[in-house]
Amino acid sequence: MATRAATQPLGDGGSIASARATSSSGKLDTTLSIETPERVVFSHQLAGPAVRSAAYLLDLLIRGAFLFLVVVGLSIGSIATGRFSGVEAGLVLVLFFGLEWGYFVLFDLLLAGRSPGKRLLGLRVIHESGRPITASESVLRNLLRAADILPLFYAVGLTTMCFDRTFRRLGDLVAGTVVVREPRLRLRNQKVRVPHADVPGLPPRLRLSREELAALALFERRATRLGHSRAEELAEILAPKLRARYGLGKVRAVDLLLGLLARASRS
Amino acid sequence: MTVPSQPTDISERREAAWKELDQLLLAGRLRRGTASEISRGATLYRQVCRDLSRASQQALPPEVITYLDSLVSRAHSAFYADAGVVWRKWATFIFSDFPRAVRRNWTGMALSTALFTVPLVVTLLKSAHSKTFAAQMLPIEMLESMAEAYAGSLSDGRGPDANAAMAGFYVYNNVGIAFRCFASGILFGLGSAFFLVYNGAVTGAVVGYVTGAGSGTNILTFVCGHAPLELTAIVISGAAGLELGQALLDSQGVGRLHSVWQARGAILAQVMGAAVMLLLAAAVEAFWSPSAILAEVKWSMSGVILLSVIGFLCFGGRTRGASR
Repeated sequence: MATRAATQPLGDGGSIASARATSSSGKLDTTLSIETPERVVFSHQLAGPAVRSAAYLLDLLIRGAFLFLVVVGLSIGSIATGRFSGVEAGLVLVLFFGLEWGYFVLFDLLLAGRSPGKRLLGLRVIHESGRPITASESVLRNLLRAADILPLFYAVGLTTMCFDRTFRRLGDLVAGTVVVREPRLRLRNQKVRVPHADVPGLPPRLRLSREELAALALFERRATRLGHSRAEELAEILAPKLRARYGLGKVRAVDLLLGLLARASRS
Repeated sequence: MTVPSQPTDISERREAAWKELDQLLLAGRLRRGTASEISRGATLYRQVCRDLSRASQQALPPEVITYLDSLVSRAHSAFYADAGVVWRKWATFIFSDFPRAVRRNWTGMALSTALFTVPLVVTLLKSAHSKTFAAQMLPIEMLESMAEAYAGSLSDGRGPDANAAMAGFYVYNNVGIAFRCFASGILFGLGSAFFLVYNGAVTGAVVGYVTGAGSGTNILTFVCGHAPLELTAIVISGAAGLELGQALLDSQGVGRLHSVWQARGAILAQVMGAAVMLLLAAAVEAFWSPSAILAEVKWSMSGVILLSVIGFLCFGGRTRGASR
């Protein structure tokens, strides 16, 4: 799978997005990391078969309901006028065609890769390089539904998805697209700072890894809601390693962690 | 250390900028805004990118990092999106890219034509001679109703209402067949081959049975108008499916997916072109074919349509001096 990321084409029509995508190679993780031309890496949560099936069923329901309403409306119309016109039957068939083949393409273009079902469940189709999908990619991935749906209930598509690291069905493979989770996030600012004491004897450079920093930050958040002894118990999991690294003697584990965190966020 | 105890947290210092970018994105100002808004958005985006790379080095709550992740990805999407649907581009797509792609895929076209016409001719000849052969392929009730439908001449025509209903049916049914015929080509070309043989055989059986029942002139006069468009379009969509299968099988030294991606522009041109041809065919089949116009006129029109299709596919999109 790692080679796939290395041979990423720049999309058709000489797209300017030269972003590179890697599906956290080697790890059994469901994220897609994308490196932008600005040399920054952000990651998407990939959407799996279950949530995508749910979104498909929602779309099916929406289309069914729409068709039902149109048919009922036309029937009432022809009962009221007392004659059944073939034009109406023709319209219903064209609508049926449009809902089967055009529905997803229309909403991919209108709502940037989100059919109503996907939108309700916070999903979005994107190109593997992280940019939104183009019209031709949308047409291809939705035409290929005819192959994914074979022989029954999207069996081919679901099987392909289960064997692919980024959960792509045949249509996604051909169009170069992936479906990601895109929850709308709001910044909840954590103003609550736990009071802490300075830890004497720390070196000027702390050399904490990204994971350690994340762990410290998480601990601070939880510390406000924990009892004293439980907080100490949790902090003691990480503390021995840190004490050894900085050559510290007897420091309370909670103080050590919070002190380190305060120092790290100040630098 | 004499650092005054002021807020040093990146999320407190930078929150205003993040919210500003968020607002620009929400209002869609990065796609449709004024020059200064887009420029401001670009500055903010670069800053947020920097914030994100810094944030991952600092002790920040994970949700701040997630928030920045989503902000950067949304802004990235807005800045690097395609220009959207350009209708002029679609016109070039149908009028020159389509015939070019068909000509370049001549091997696929040849194979597709053979897969469609050979079963068609075989079943036509066999079911014209023996009614039991056609009955083995298709339900006899359906064949009999077809024979009955073409038993009378078309001199009285069909009502405009029935025409409109049939137009809808032809769009739904025929374009759907073409799309399925193409899409199943991803199964290493086998799906397209199956649909071509199947549709060829069924068409042949029906026409053969009706001919055997003595209404051969009627059904041929009916189909002569739309057949050049409709059958050619089915063959083209099958050829596009075969090209898709071929790109997957014979990847020419690149990865299989990459090979498909290289071919997909040409493949899409063929499918979309075939769809447009089928829409035209549906109009002809619904309104011209069943009309009470003289058979001589219909056959002349059929010739005109056939020559136009051949001419378009052979010469459409050629530029002076180009070989294909």
